[in-house]
Amino acid sequence: MITKHIILLLFAGIAIQAVSCKKYLDEKPNNLISTGDAIVDAGTARAAITGAYDRVQGYYASSYPTLGVMPADNVIFNGTLNEYLQLDQNAVPTDNVITVAAYQGIYRAINSANSVIAAVPGVTDPLLSAAEKDKITGEAYFIRALGYFDLARGWGGVQLQLKPTVDIAGLKGVKRSTLDATYDQVLADLNQAEQLLPEDATTRNRAQKSTARALRARLHLYRKQWADAEADASLVIANTKYALVQPYKTFFTAPFLSTESVLELTYSVNDKNSYWNLWYPSSAGGQYTLKPSDALVAKLNNPQTGGTRNALIAGSGTGVYGVLYNTTASSVDPSYLIRIAELYLIRAEARAQQNKITEAVADLNVIRARAGLAATTATSQADVLLAIEEENSLEFAFEAHRWFDLTRTGRAGAVLGVTNSDYWLFPIPNSDILSDPDVTQNHGY
Amino acid sequence: MRQLYFRAVCALLCVLSAYAVIAQQQTQPTIHSKLTGIVLDAASRQPLAGAVVKIKGTTHAVTTDNEGKFNFVTGQAFPYTLVIDYIGYQHQEIVVNSSPAEVLVKENAGQLNDIIVTGYSTQERKYIAGSITSVSGDAIRDVPAAGFNQLLQGKATGVQVMANSGVPGSGITFRIRGNNSINASVDPLYIIDGVFVSNADPVQTSVGNQQPSNPIADINPNDIESIQILKDANATAIYGSLGANGVVIVTTRRGKRNTHARIGLSTYQGWSTAINKFKVATGPQTALLSNEAKINTAVDNGRDPSTATGLIANPDSLPTYNRTDDLFRTARTQNYDLSAQGGTENSTYYVSFGYLKQESVVKPTNYDRYTARLNYDNNLTTRLKVGTSINITRSQRNLSSNDNNPQGVINSALFPRSYLPVYNADGTYARYGSFDNHIALINNLDNDAVGWRTIGNVFAEYNILPGLKLRSSWSLDNSSEYENNYSNTLISAGIATSGSASSYETKNTVYTNEQVLSFVKSFGSSKQHNINALIGNTLNSVISQGTSATGTGFATNSLKAISAAATRSGSSFSSTSKLVSFFGKAGYTYADKYTVDVSIRADASSKFGKNKQWGYFPSGGLAWRAGQEDFIKSLHIFNDLKFRGSIGLSGNQNGIGPYAALGLWASGANYLEQAGTAPSQLANPDLTWETTRQLDLGTEFTILKNRLTISFDYYNKYTYDLLLNVPVPYRSGFASYLQNYGAVRNKGYEVGAHSTNIDTKDFKWTTDFNISWNKNKIEKLASDIVQGASGRNISILRQGYAVNSFYLYKQLYVDKQTGNAVYADLQKDNQITSADRQIVGNALPVYSGGLTNNLSYKNFDLNFFFYFQEGNKIMNMNDFFMVHGGTQANIGFLPRQLDRWQKPGDVTDIPRLTTYSGNPTQNGGAANNYGGNVANLSSRYLQDGSFLRLKTITLGYNLPNALIQRLKLNRARLYVQATNLLTFTKYDGLDPEVSSQSNNQNTAGYDWATVPQPRTVQVGLSVTF
Repeated sequence: MITKHIILLLFAGIAIQAVSCKKYLDEKPNNLISTGDAIVDAGTARAAITGAYDRVQGYYASSYPTLGVMPADNVIFNGTLNEYLQLDQNAVPTDNVITVAAYQGIYRAINSANSVIAAVPGVTDPLLSAAEKDKITGEAYFIRALGYFDLARGWGGVQLQLKPTVDIAGLKGVKRSTLDATYDQVLADLNQAEQLLPEDATTRNRAQKSTARALRARLHLYRKQWADAEADASLVIANTKYALVQPYKTFFTAPFLSTESVLELTYSVNDKNSYWNLWYPSSAGGQYTLKPSDALVAKLNNPQTGGTRNALIAGSGTGVYGVLYNTTASSVDPSYLIRIAELYLIRAEARAQQNKITEAVADLNVIRARAGLAATTATSQADVLLAIEEENSLEFAFEAHRWFDLTRTGRAGAVLGVTNSDYWLFPIPNSDILSDPDVTQNHGY
Repeated sequence: MRQLYFRAVCALLCVLSAYAVIAQQQTQPTIHSKLTGIVLDAASRQPLAGAVVKIKGTTHAVTTDNEGKFNFVTGQAFPYTLVIDYIGYQHQEIVVNSSPAEVLVKENAGQLNDIIVTGYSTQERKYIAGSITSVSGDAIRDVPAAGFNQLLQGKATGVQVMANSGVPGSGITFRIRGNNSINASVDPLYIIDGVFVSNADPVQTSVGNQQPSNPIADINPNDIESIQILKDANATAIYGSLGANGVVIVTTRRGKRNTHARIGLSTYQGWSTAINKFKVATGPQTALLSNEAKINTAVDNGRDPSTATGLIANPDSLPTYNRTDDLFRTARTQNYDLSAQGGTENSTYYVSFGYLKQESVVKPTNYDRYTARLNYDNNLTTRLKVGTSINITRSQRNLSSNDNNPQGVINSALFPRSYLPVYNADGTYARYGSFDNHIALINNLDNDAVGWRTIGNVFAEYNILPGLKLRSSWSLDNSSEYENNYSNTLISAGIATSGSASSYETKNTVYTNEQVLSFVKSFGSSKQHNINALIGNTLNSVISQGTSATGTGFATNSLKAISAAATRSGSSFSSTSKLVSFFGKAGYTYADKYTVDVSIRADASSKFGKNKQWGYFPSGGLAWRAGQEDFIKSLHIFNDLKFRGSIGLSGNQNGIGPYAALGLWASGANYLEQAGTAPSQLANPDLTWETTRQLDLGTEFTILKNRLTISFDYYNKYTYDLLLNVPVPYRSGFASYLQNYGAVRNKGYEVGAHSTNIDTKDFKWTTDFNISWNKNKIEKLASDIVQGASGRNISILRQGYAVNSFYLYKQLYVDKQTGNAVYADLQKDNQITSADRQIVGNALPVYSGGLTNNLSYKNFDLNFFFYFQEGNKIMNMNDFFMVHGGTQANIGFLPRQLDRWQKPGDVTDIPRLTTYSGNPTQNGGAANNYGGNVANLSSRYLQDGSFLRLKTITLGYNLPNALIQRLKLNRARLYVQATNLLTFTKYDGLDPEVSSQSNNQNTAGYDWATVPQPRTVQVGLSVTF
């Protein structure tokens, strides 16, 4: 009798155990959410677009600005890490850490943006108004446009991912597009963004209508669509929200977000940007990997060329260092993406290219005057274009401009001695070449 | 969860009581005599529980209880013959005339008769079909290293052990039969007194990509009785998904019943120094080299040498500041152990207390450790025994970062140019380039890590029937690490922020509950049938939690608490993973000759995808004691001879994240102080176990009148369905995707020998030798995976090659005419591009082993132990940085740079100095000497890391008996010992036992501003009362 009971009990025990085993093994994290719950209501939609901005920070905090300066002539290698030396020497292997980090970071931002574009319009939550949906979606379009623009000018025409990645199988078959097709995608996204985004008088660290227009002005400039570039630049310059600041260093002095700024990414003590660390010497707590070149130091210190822009450097002798990123105690330097000064120089160049020399010189002189310099002496179209190039170099000495300016104008050979134009594009990361049958490497790598 | 435990235990208890009920219904005899008796060990007079006592000529057998007692109620009349069998003891027959009877049995001699602790049971070595190496606790005592796992170096076949650096208590590399995995863990499972012990490094402070601590160092080696290393599938499959990397089972000392209290006291005092110290080029040499590089560069650029700029004037007049000697010191080691053990009629105890304090030879690191242990067993009744093992450890580390950290202590002394002064003119610390000031660091580093570890286990054992036993055990491994770091304003890390502080509290907890029902029975007319079987279950939870806080901006350097900081922030994490297992094992031996062994384990893990949570791991083994066969006996060669073979599966799930199978978005992607989320992981609902299939063939034999025992093993391990982070196209927004893909094979041979060379009354000499070959090969991989050295990607994983391969440009020679380096051009396109990088060596040794000699003459004993390994390469990153040809403006030179090519006709492997960067693809062009596409990733910095080392040599003296008795002592021994006294190697770095990037298992074999192994001389005394 007893045995029978025991056997019954035993079977019951096993049955219960089999059921509770499943529960026992069901573990969920407390600081991550499952993909299915990622964008379902107002709160998660807002979190997702915030996350997309965070991904832009991810590549703009350090790697992308480094790509904009290191391969050119304003900044030289002064550290121990080869990846910077490789950029400085324009001998960039396919696994260069900085190019890989930037490439990967940009696509991470794009995937976040794609997720928002795909999911937010379909969210039904009374707390999420149609206006806010538009704003969030518009921001995502802008971020995707920015991402593809930054890819295009660094790597040429790239693979266009326009859907969020849910599994690996869905990736197959996307080949590299032409440079034009990539830029067309950027344009389409910017137009969408312009439509959807709001505009107010104060926001400078999130995308707004003017932000989309400013990037579109730059896009047209890169595509040598001079009239469009001029028109978009004029639209932004005309917005009274933006104005050049005096003195020059105001825009990179706390509390930042000056009227100069069309788009900067804000950091805080809880969301740090330690880029200064690469610029400052170890006696100030930095690593001093990036150092202003002697030629740049001479130009910045020359009152005829640098003017008040000598505030970009500090130190003396062989110990000169760049101080654009300078919040060493708190690490809250913004990433400077678009300043109104750039719009003036875009318009100057677009006008000069259209042979509107007087207007071009006027725009150029606005920038020179702010730096405390006399008006330019250039008069011929060629000289004015050269003067604009030089002004760009000094005005944006440590921002992501110089290298991309010289490659888009085809002057990298003449100015930097990088005569092999294959090296004007960065290599596609080797890991992608190995893992992706659909990708092809840039010529020369 | 608790409910589940109850159910599981209930279920098993039910089965057992069912047996008990059945058993009770079987009594029935005609009584002619009653016999009670006790079985004792002949030497120690310890009662032996579980011995089988039988009346000869009958089938009636009983098993002794926990007190060694037995009783018969039998139909036989006195006198009759009793036959007593007990594993590890000789077969015994005695005639009894009356009750009670006392039986003394003698222990078997010879290694094959050793008792081996295997998975969930103990067996005699001669019956074991698996490959298991045993190391006695005596072999690892009193050596100045904190972790017993480190001390197993060279002591066991199939085990490769390396200290990663000379920092006391820091991480080690421990592999059983090679690296089985790529992304999952390759560390073995450690089981201490039945507790699954966590080997996760709890230290959060980063120390230049080194593993900051060896979690196993929390165990005091002095408490260890024996260590068994389970290597093959037959031995490890019972641990299923935890066993693929091998299992290390540690048994700590326990008291013996009916023994007087014995108190042991031992201490040693050691003094350590660096075997070699760093040497750098002098000030004048540095300036000379630097100028030469600049002049050569001007020439390469087609300019006149006189146009070279930035030359250092008057190189010869420059001073030399010796920084590297400031790093080293004579480091002290002190160790004290106090223990007491003994037993009463029903209980036994072992209590110990230990203290170790060890300084690093490179300032300012040190390590100290307090350990306390209580092992207690009590036989509540003749059938029920309860016991506990509790270990409490407090460890403290003063951490200092070296290796891959430019602001580490060694880096800051080694790399700056030697003509630059250590102090500025105003007396403040001078800093150059990316480096800090080494004196500032030595004086101001303040990184304190205190760990508390409790490893505890309570168990109950119930003898249901003779041979049938239920054991239930409840275990806990609870470790917490509390770290407080402060960087003041005198070191680089604190300058910019006016002081920065961080604090981490990290907890790792492992709960394990196990039930094992085991059954041992011999039957047949002469006990020729032996059965050894068990079933059981395990519930295991691993919880990992942590909280951290940081603060910057301090009013003064004397305020260090985060609460005093101007800016503060915090973070936390928590994760849980669980494992449910059921297992069974059965062994059958016939006539002491033939053994068949099978086992199976079923595991389900919370880490895996819902579709494939369960894994099944079977194994089988055969053993044949040919030495028992008459035709072998008649050869008169072998005293014993055994062949064994096994095959089976084991699994691995360690080292992957607890939520690895889920599709996830990460939190913390914040912007503008708003909480953000972003995609972080792709879902893989099919994620499942990484499985290792292993074949093992072995033999063990004893010859020359039991004087020489040799064991030989061949194994072939194939690990498939690797838990691999397969790279995915970056355009997906992800970098990799964890899936079951890829395969790795390890195969090799192991030979072990134990020889008693001389065994006389006064003079004894034994030799132990072991050597192991392992060949590792990646059989299947999605694509190359490169990593290591901060993005320089010097280590590669590539199909067809071993893990830990080095991926560099192979320098063929330096052109005698031009002085430029020429590299192997794999593509034969006369260009040097990344396609010309190749595998030029490997960090894994081809073989490694040890040779131990123990000699004793009267009261003196001498022991010396050599360790050797051959065939591994070391990437000398110090050379990489300091033989830079001028490309590193802020880094000095090693003397090796002086061998550079200077003029046509020079024959050297160090190319001409230059920083020219034009035409970076030209082979034999100046750009690639140090920069260019090669970027110094040249095989000229890869060196042979083979070495032979006299690891320890000890001379001891036992005080004579007369003196001991007068002092009322039991035993007293004095000794002197030297560690790392002699090293034979071609490696020209400081020390060949080094692995500086050890926090990633796939980047082994770097030497990078690493603390070298010290040479230690110590004196010790141990006394027992």
